[in-house]
Amino acid sequence: MDFAESEEHELLRSATGEIARRFGHDYFVQQARSSGSSGELWQAIADQGFLGAHLPEAYGGGGGGISELTIVCEETATQGCPLLLILVSAAICAELIARFGTDGQKAAWLPGLVAGEKMAFAITEPDAGSNSHRLGTTARRDGDLYVLKGTKTFISGVDEASRLLVVTRTGTDEESGRGRLSLFVVDADAPGLTRQRIPVEMTIPEKQFTLFFDDVEVPADRLLGQEHEGLRVVFHGLNPERITGAAIGNGIGRYALAKAAAYANDRSVWGVPIATHQGIAHPLATAKVELELARLMTAKAAWLHDHDPGSAAAGEAANMAKYAAAEAALHCLDVAIQTHGGNGMTTEFGLADLWGLARLLRIAPVSREMILNFVAGHSLGLAKSY
Amino acid sequence: MAMNVVVCVKQIPDPAAPSSLDPGTKTLNRSGKLILDDSDSYGVEMALQLAGNVEGSEVTLVSMAPGGEVSGLRTALAMGAARAILVSDDSLAGSDALSTAKVLAAAIRRAEPDLVIAATESTDGYTGTLPVQVAELLGLPSVTFAKSVATDGRNLKVERQTEAGYDEVECPLPAVVTVTAGVVEPRYPSFKGIMAAKSKPVETLTVSDLGLDASQVGWAGARQEITDVSEAEARSAGEVVVDEGDGAERIVAFLEQVKVV
Ligand SMILES: Cc1cc2nc3c(=O)[nH]c(=O)nc-3n(C[C@H](O)[C@H](O)[C@H](O)COP(=O)(O)OP(=O)(O)OC[C@H]3O[C@@H](n4cnc5c(N)ncnc54)[C@H](O)[C@@H]3O)c2cc1C
Ligand SMILES: Cc1cc2nc3c(=O)[nH]c(=O)nc-3n(C[C@H](O)[C@H](O)[C@H](O)COP(=O)(O)OP(=O)(O)OC[C@H]3O[C@@H](n4cnc5c(N)ncnc54)[C@H](O)[C@@H]3O)c2cc1C
Repeated sequence: MDFAESEEHELLRSATGEIARRFGHDYFVQQARSSGSSGELWQAIADQGFLGAHLPEAYGGGGGGISELTIVCEETATQGCPLLLILVSAAICAELIARFGTDGQKAAWLPGLVAGEKMAFAITEPDAGSNSHRLGTTARRDGDLYVLKGTKTFISGVDEASRLLVVTRTGTDEESGRGRLSLFVVDADAPGLTRQRIPVEMTIPEKQFTLFFDDVEVPADRLLGQEHEGLRVVFHGLNPERITGAAIGNGIGRYALAKAAAYANDRSVWGVPIATHQGIAHPLATAKVELELARLMTAKAAWLHDHDPGSAAAGEAANMAKYAAAEAALHCLDVAIQTHGGNGMTTEFGLADLWGLARLLRIAPVSREMILNFVAGHSLGLAKSY
Repeated sequence: MAMNVVVCVKQIPDPAAPSSLDPGTKTLNRSGKLILDDSDSYGVEMALQLAGNVEGSEVTLVSMAPGGEVSGLRTALAMGAARAILVSDDSLAGSDALSTAKVLAAAIRRAEPDLVIAATESTDGYTGTLPVQVAELLGLPSVTFAKSVATDGRNLKVERQTEAGYDEVECPLPAVVTVTAGVVEPRYPSFKGIMAAKSKPVETLTVSDLGLDASQVGWAGARQEITDVSEAEARSAGEVVVDEGDGAERIVAFLEQVKVV
């Protein structure tokens, strides 16, 4: 076993961190509050080839894996610039196209994604949240076309994306009653596709939308993977999403603890730095331990995904990493805010504004409860309620 | 004409991390990981641009550092340099600037450069003397404080920063030129550059590989000795001016008083 970080990974960390530092948390917050986007930072990262680190070289990618994308995700977040769209655009959409796309599809979409184009991912529906077997958005074959009908909700970044990957139902399994799923790449400006913004209490530049598919016609060559086999395809994308989601949490944790440690050493209210009070030091140390454990599991999950994608071990580790990182992010942020006293709530100190995103990680991309269901069922063999 | 451009890169303790002096030798502790001196990233960028203009040109890095350190070199290799020469040898501990220059000159000679680029001064030692000593030892012309460098492969055209503006200087190649910070925008390494860096050749040499005698370098060869170090005097707190609508005038008045304007 070897836990030493490779030179490549160290360089990727420092280069990503330097680029993100140039923008910084103030930029991130300013973009969020002004209804802007983090597009400039996104582009700067893409220009170095970092957003395509995990994609095949034949299509302009870096030939690396999710381990590398995870580093990019963590280091931007560590500088106070968590990029939510890495999860959907790079970790799910690009990864699935690289794995299941035809040569034509890969050639059509991957080079753009490497260069910084964005793709949204739409699976969640108002009536089928955590249960993707119940999806109601249908795709009906009509000659050379599929016709999409239904509603998706909480879809991030549609306004910035040129296309979106949509999970639909193309049939129903007679025995189980579960949906047979198929994935389509749909143009964001396709006729019949309308969107409505969902206001959320999160300080992030990415916006969320409810999408209405009103007989949206999609050419048959936009089908990704086999018809009806979409569930298997989706599952391949969910692990990278969970792992990069964990990386965002880990980055937020590092960002928060770095600020807290600096503040605790500097601030003195009883003649000594508050860092010397164990009431301040121990919670920070506990959070640090939890953070490092989450980072370790995240690295393991990424490694397993890169070495044996789709394996049970990769799925288990990805779920555990996502769980641990979401909890660690919230804990780190909470103790960092506490360490800052009143300043923890100020705009200037840039902590409280991250609460919404850190809190989201407990709900999305997959909720804490669904992870615990998975661990209970798969890892412990406990009987299922559903 | 294809050129072989050599860049001197110093690997230094991370200036952002707390630093310490060895109480015995009174020199900087260099036991931790060393990184590419930021000052040298401009030289690397300048070299990559010059080499990039001419097909077949290459950039070679030369560094002297303790403990076989290559971290800083990898950063510059990831930016695009082709290869590196590292001189690392226990007998180099305690080397002063002249000994360092002898070592670097010997290493640079092996690379058969058309052009040698260094920073005007390093971040940690900042004597600003090394490049001219290297030029002298190699018998090459030296042009300092370059803010722009152009070459046709035979001659060098430099805009040399002065207090009043800049001088235009020309000299034949090979030559040694020092570049100031900020003259070019150092590139970030690309993903492909990062992945390629590990497999680029780094030749590690000892003092004897360079044909030098251990008595010429290190503590043995040092002609200067640090006799004493003392704490820098704490700066007195500056004057705080609260802007009551007259902030601009008060700043101008202050600048006039210290004869800046
Ligand atoms: C800001 C934001 C961005 C998002 N971006 C996207 C996106 O880009 N694309 C996309 O497709 N989706 C996106 N989502 C949706 C997100 O993935 C879902 O909100 C999440 O998966 C939970 O689904 P739900 O909201 O329908 O909750 P529900 O499924 O309704 O769950 C409600 C609660 O019940 C719990 N629960 C449900 N089933 C069980 C069970 N069997 N056992 C125990 N507890 C259970 C859940 O854990 C949760 O706490 C986003 C959401 C938000 C808030
Ligand atoms: C008493 C004394 C003891 C020392 N002990 C040690 C020691 O134990 N270990 C040790 O490693 N060094 C030691 N040094 C050497 C010192 O740190 C410098 O390497 C050397 O003196 C050059 O000085 P400078 O950094 O001021 O160079 P400057 O003249 O300010 O540097 C200008 C440029 O020259 C190039 N350059 C300078 N140094 C190097 C280098 N080493 N490799 C490649 N390019 C370079 C860079 O481009 C740099 O920006 C010692 C120096 C003194 C005076």
